[in-house]
Amino acid sequence: MYKDVKMPKGMNPEVLEHLMNPKNYGKLEDDNGIGVALDEKTKEYVIFYILLNDEILQDVSFATNGCQDTVVIGSMFSEMIKNNDINYAKKSIEKMHAKLGEMTPQQKICAELVFTAFIAALKNHDNRKEGIDEELHLLKMKESCEATNMETSHE
Amino acid sequence: MNKTYQKKHQLWLEILFASFAIEDEHIKSRLYDFSQIAFRHMKWLGEEILATGDDYNYDRDMMLYKRITVFEVIEALKQCVNEIQTFYPQNTLGERIKTDDIYLLEYLQEVLQETANNKEITAFNMQRRWEDLPQDQIDALTLFLFDESYKEYELILIYAYMQARTKNLLHYNVFQDLVDESHFHLKSFGNMMAKLGILALPRELHEMTYIVKDLDQFLVDGIAEEEAAKEMCKELSDAITDEKLSKFFDFINYQESYHINLMQKLL
Repeated sequence: MYKDVKMPKGMNPEVLEHLMNPKNYGKLEDDNGIGVALDEKTKEYVIFYILLNDEILQDVSFATNGCQDTVVIGSMFSEMIKNNDINYAKKSIEKMHAKLGEMTPQQKICAELVFTAFIAALKNHDNRKEGIDEELHLLKMKESCEATNMETSHE
Repeated sequence: MNKTYQKKHQLWLEILFASFAIEDEHIKSRLYDFSQIAFRHMKWLGEEILATGDDYNYDRDMMLYKRITVFEVIEALKQCVNEIQTFYPQNTLGERIKTDDIYLLEYLQEVLQETANNKEITAFNMQRRWEDLPQDQIDALTLFLFDESYKEYELILIYAYMQARTKNLLHYNVFQDLVDESHFHLKSFGNMMAKLGILALPRELHEMTYIVKDLDQFLVDGIAEEEAAKEMCKELSDAITDEKLSKFFDFINYQESYHINLMQKLL
């Protein structure tokens, strides 16, 4: 839709479309994995839902109380991985970093919230398969918000 | 009953965003009044649900279509009002809501009968023009409006949710003030988004956002958020060269200051 819109300079029309109409936003009713990334300091969170069958992400969705950067990144990332396999999705995190280019520290935190929630959803999917009774998997972000600096807990 | 509540929630938003989308000040104002009535319907339906020991949520299933004429907006709204009628309860509240809706439908029909009302809708054209404002300032304004329109919608629903469940009169009154204040902010920001051609629905709220387990912690965090919103308003006010717009953000900034006072009363 945005391809046909002539945008003034300054803001990418793709970004504006994701702002106006975020893709894959909300709950997934038939999920088999739910992950939450929580920034305890700001109380911002991303919750990520996946429906994973035979290594294919048949459906995905996300929700957040965070800022618009989080929404745009969640919308773009979920579109990228939907109907693709797990390996593609994991590589997509790197691709997203490249697509997003140079980000402010705040935007990096937003991006990591999204990616971490997705990783938590995969973990929840694995845990459920192993018979662990876990409604969702929570990963708490540390200030650095780097994926390697996470504390985990079960809910 | 939760289905009725969800439908009413959606109808409130349909009327509210129709009001934002339409430029004609008279139609805009009438629809805004109807949206406020619909919000009260939603509140009363919620109270009835809780009184029966049941519960409701803020799930939604709706889209805001990018319509291009006033009549398209009005026709779509008529359809929404007609569709909800069978969901209302068979009681005094249900009858009250139905008579309000019948009056709204009559008004919508009046608008449709006057062909001169069928103007172009520019609220969704993504052109982002604001008088002589330079592009970098329009970009800043765009992001601010997306962030803050969501935040005001979020606050309206969170405070309304808590208000419906409190037994404390002080809390009830403060929540009402905060809901009223956020309605005004949402109205202001929604109309600005429409003027810029970027009108969009705020995102649906997840229950993790509105089910508050620790009120004190919520208020402490909320006060910090209000401080951040104040800072954003101040930055925008300082950065924007349009005097009228700059004054508007100063005005909003001072209102945020009083919200902090209101929230402190609850601690």
